[in-house]
Amino acid sequence: MLGAAGTKRDAAEAGSAGTAATGTAGLTQGASAVTGAVAKTIEMREVNLFYGAFHAVEDVTMTIEPNKVTALIGSSGCGKTTFLRSLNRMHELTPGASVKGEISLDGEDIYAPGVDPVQVRRLIGMVFQSPNPFPTMSIYDNVAAGLNLNVGKLKKTQKDAAVERSLRGANLWEEVKDRLDKPGLGLSGGQQQRLCIARAIAVEPEVLLMDEPCSALDPVATLAIEDLIGELKSRYTIVIVTHNMQQAARASDLTAFFNLEESGKPGRLVELGQTETIFTNPTQQATEDYVSGRFG
Amino acid sequence: MPESARSEYQEELSNLEAGGLGGLDMVSVALARTLEAVEHQDIELAQLVVADDDCIDGHYLEVHQSLITLLATQSPVATDLRLISALLHVLKSVERMGDQCVNICKVIPLTGNEPPADQEMVALILGMGKQTRALIVQAKRAFAERDIELARDLVRQDDFVDDLNRDCFRLALEIGDDADRREWAMTMLLAARAIERIADNAVDIGEQVAFVVTGLFREFEDASHPSV
Repeated sequence: MLGAAGTKRDAAEAGSAGTAATGTAGLTQGASAVTGAVAKTIEMREVNLFYGAFHAVEDVTMTIEPNKVTALIGSSGCGKTTFLRSLNRMHELTPGASVKGEISLDGEDIYAPGVDPVQVRRLIGMVFQSPNPFPTMSIYDNVAAGLNLNVGKLKKTQKDAAVERSLRGANLWEEVKDRLDKPGLGLSGGQQQRLCIARAIAVEPEVLLMDEPCSALDPVATLAIEDLIGELKSRYTIVIVTHNMQQAARASDLTAFFNLEESGKPGRLVELGQTETIFTNPTQQATEDYVSGRFG
Repeated sequence: MPESARSEYQEELSNLEAGGLGGLDMVSVALARTLEAVEHQDIELAQLVVADDDCIDGHYLEVHQSLITLLATQSPVATDLRLISALLHVLKSVERMGDQCVNICKVIPLTGNEPPADQEMVALILGMGKQTRALIVQAKRAFAERDIELARDLVRQDDFVDDLNRDCFRLALEIGDDADRREWAMTMLLAARAIERIADNAVDIGEQVAFVVTGLFREFEDASHPSV
């Protein structure tokens, strides 16, 4: 249930700092289990997003499929990040921001009255553009942060197991297992981003949102993240915003192209299709022009 | 990417398309010379065609390398990607067509200076060659104009070449008992077969036109399933 009680509003801040936030159900078992998460379908119907009076995204209807990587591409300002943030109710954290339309997770409206946005953010985790580990925390505590917020006191052995499981899930365990008490900021950029992914999956979300997760990384670290994304999709529904079209082509199964007709107009979903189709034979001329670099 | 860099890329791609299709003009000239060599038993001209095939091969390598560079540096997608893929096919077809001309020219000296030629069979081969040159021109135009109907019409034109090839075969069977004439006829059958393959290559180029335009590759005619 999305409306599960016992959550903390202030944990939304933890969510915006790079980790999924609080929740209760299943986590105590999850701490020792491999994973209890099940990828879910996100459905959007006539979604419109606003910043005050400014209409940022207009009439998006689409389905994001489970166990698939869906890439959102489009030029700057087309609303793809705004759209991404609406999927776990982070859009509304911006003062004046509002949402119209329906977004549901496996049929449950995440904006329905009574649904706790913090619980939504636990189920739908977010990884951000720049790696943002908590600067004063150790590697271990960075991963455990979401768990601490969620379930309060866990037994040390349970927490250890959850941290190891998350770091293994993020392909980071072997690199950090001997220095878990060292600061997260001491890691390389690519490792920090995988730490943030470990932090996000520690609370066993069902969906992972990634906002340009490789834009601050070198090609080697980028490839490691892309490999990780490929592995994570067997357990999660993944949505990734990227400006790197080759990354969209390499790492995603489906690609959605967003565009805006002109500056000041709202962004719209132009085309959603199999990534292979979008990059070899898109149906819309605007998509063809964008992926081919014929824009501006 | 800056606008100018992208327009340079587009210009480069256009130039490479023109270059790739230009290979068809080279093949057309080679085939014309080949036919002339067959008609007049001109061994020197045949040797010239063999030597000039290096130009076709060099052209193939040059355009091919430039297309690979474009793939590596510009990451083309969508129509551009299909165009480059199709041009690689066209280049291969052009190179094969040139080789078939060489195959014909290499057998011409084998028949001797004054072979016991059957004029009806020579006329059939020249007819095949003329029709095949028309196919080459049509394939080039269909590609340049992205004209699927014109490309599909290549199949109909190719049927005429196939019919003439069958007529050649029939004539060869009826050539008589003279050993020299039979040897000449067998050699000419090889030439007819090579021309027939050149025409098939022109049809292959037509199939690439359809791929560039629609994104779907379908053989216009499937030799192993003729009714499809």
